[in-house]
Amino acid sequence: MQTTNEYNRKRYRLGFWFIAPAVIVLLIVLAYPIFASLVLSFLRVRFAGQGLSFEFNGLNNYADLIRKDLFREALFRSVYFTMIEVVSVMLLALLVATMLNHPLGRSAFYRVVLLVPWALAPVANAVLWKWIYNANYGILNQALLGLGVIDENIIWLGKPWLALNMILIADIWKAVPFISLLMLAGLQNIPAYLYKAAWLDGANVWQQFVHITLPGIKTTLVISIVLQSIWALKVFDLIYVLTKGSPADSTVLLNYLSWRETFSNLDIGYGAAIANVLFALMLMLALVYIRALRQRQTQTWRGSKP
Amino acid sequence: MNSNRLINRIARRHFLKLAGAGAASVALANFLASCAPKSDGGTLNVLVPAAPDPAPPGVGQFSLDAFEQWKKANGFEVAYEAPPWPQLHDKMAANFASGQYVHDIIYMSGWVPEFADYLIDFTDELPADLVADLPPSSFSTLAWGGKRLGVIFTLSLLTMFYNKEMLDGIGVKEAPKTWDELKAVAKELTGGGKYGWVLNYGAPEGIGGVASYWMCFLQQAGGKLYDDKGQPSFNNAAGVDSLQCMVDLMEFTDPGSLSYVGINDATNVFAAGQAAMMMNWPFMWKPANDPATSKVVGKVNAAVLPAGPAGTASIDGTDAYTITSLSPNPEGARKLIEFYLDAEVQKRQVLDTGWLPIRLSVLNDPEVQAAAPNAAVVLEQAKNPYDSYVTPDYNAVTTAIGVEIQKALAGSQSAADAIKNASDQVIEIVKKRG
Repeated sequence: MQTTNEYNRKRYRLGFWFIAPAVIVLLIVLAYPIFASLVLSFLRVRFAGQGLSFEFNGLNNYADLIRKDLFREALFRSVYFTMIEVVSVMLLALLVATMLNHPLGRSAFYRVVLLVPWALAPVANAVLWKWIYNANYGILNQALLGLGVIDENIIWLGKPWLALNMILIADIWKAVPFISLLMLAGLQNIPAYLYKAAWLDGANVWQQFVHITLPGIKTTLVISIVLQSIWALKVFDLIYVLTKGSPADSTVLLNYLSWRETFSNLDIGYGAAIANVLFALMLMLALVYIRALRQRQTQTWRGSKP
Repeated sequence: MNSNRLINRIARRHFLKLAGAGAASVALANFLASCAPKSDGGTLNVLVPAAPDPAPPGVGQFSLDAFEQWKKANGFEVAYEAPPWPQLHDKMAANFASGQYVHDIIYMSGWVPEFADYLIDFTDELPADLVADLPPSSFSTLAWGGKRLGVIFTLSLLTMFYNKEMLDGIGVKEAPKTWDELKAVAKELTGGGKYGWVLNYGAPEGIGGVASYWMCFLQQAGGKLYDDKGQPSFNNAAGVDSLQCMVDLMEFTDPGSLSYVGINDATNVFAAGQAAMMMNWPFMWKPANDPATSKVVGKVNAAVLPAGPAGTASIDGTDAYTITSLSPNPEGARKLIEFYLDAEVQKRQVLDTGWLPIRLSVLNDPEVQAAAPNAAVVLEQAKNPYDSYVTPDYNAVTTAIGVEIQKALAGSQSAADAIKNASDQVIEIVKKRG
């Protein structure tokens, strides 16, 4: 007769074999590139003109990060971009989710329409915005001229901070739908009787929002913030299509800089060092995400107990 | 009985494990095999840009029947990979870095020194009559380390394009011949939502962006990017004057130029009749005279670029075909390149796509000259300097220069500061090259 421990051991062993293919695939497609990128960042990789050769370079690539203004500027811009995008997306998504949660907004039609920006292919989205922002023929300038808001065309992508913020707007537009749906799911988990009880107790709309809605979607908010932060940190396609880092490198963010150093300038070791900094930032955010998810699972588990 | 059941269970479990592991291995092997490029000797894999950039028959819509006949006669299939031009460099970098065979023929533009070790010299095997029909520049910009690593297939120098009607409107009958004339004419033509000059200054790097345009002005000012020892030599009067000319022009330039990242963005403005002058590649003649894409049909003319203190000068687009060192069939690849350079194919190239031929006999063909009157202008431009200064670190060098130029054009630093900063960065890049 098998003991419980023996039975569990066999169960786990069998389970291991079942998940082994997935683990192997993950090791190949995730762990290996991460490890390779780490190793590359300690090497000087000579490629241009003389074939591929590797030479140990110690911490020089990381020293270059500290030394070079462009990296520091790109890091600052990435942090700025991420913070503004996360705050904007959270506020807009919460607004949209609240509207969709209202009895008048519960039609599936609204949800389908909402998903359109998110469903667009990244490059198609970028090309769309390129035409919207076009200095001479863009619809944004034409609309603002028509409304009398401006009296001459604005070069949306021609000035440093303006260009960065216009890319930010395009990315926010794309990000809002998914986060809205996450929040909507969170809102729909809040029992309606809580609002009824609060209304009976005389709570106004704002008080209901602060004391019922926000606590009810706290975990969803944390997950949304973390996910959106990761996505904002790794923005690439919009920059590649809209500005190529211009004007004067003012829209170069970390991910774009890593690509440029690696694939355009062929400074593979330095590019890997930049990618690793980005990875470290995202890993920290991912840990917060895992913690938030675990917290929610624990809450759900406790909630399901009689 | 119990023990027999246990043995059976273990055996079944082991069988399942082995079967699972086997299936996974087969699936992985199949997946990896499907990822590997075909090198069966019967297929030539070719990496070229998508049209409207210079593309061969089969990607570009010309000489399609001849292409089919060539494939039948030579027993080859041709598999094209034709991404948009800006993606080409990344693709070839990734492919070469993998150390695996991916392509037999690769289109190159300014990157030959960068990838020299991955290319072979096949030019001595080209037919003598073909070589004799090519200008010497067909090989000079592709020479590196004593080898000629490709062959140019289109005569592609930057020249001036202008809107005759707009110039006529201010009483100017010819294109400006000097920097001063260029600035004066541009000034006259700017106003009422129209501009004297337009270009894509939004991309910093060379060939496609602002660094290349400045190289034209630099050579017109009598400057050079590098001295004879390969060290940067543009932090001087010629370097500053050339950039100052571009800065002076900004007042009469479509301000959108600072945001246009591709040449087509600027071409659209010119073709809409919103700007009077620009420098562009020869292909522009055809779309600018196509009623479907242009509002300036019949109003466009071409001229050599205005002269600076040292005369006129340009840069070479260096659009070339090369053969990779890992190609299992370099002979077949060379034959295909010879087909691309066939006189009839070259003629259809210019007549159907607007990209000029490189063969002198085709350039002198009356039908070609009638269809592409700018060909004579490009040949005239080619009598003057047109160095593109390609080096193994071309992208890094030109991006560093381009970013500093953009700052000067936007007015955030002086031309002198921009040139000094660019020079300092290029010195560092060259030093790193070793």
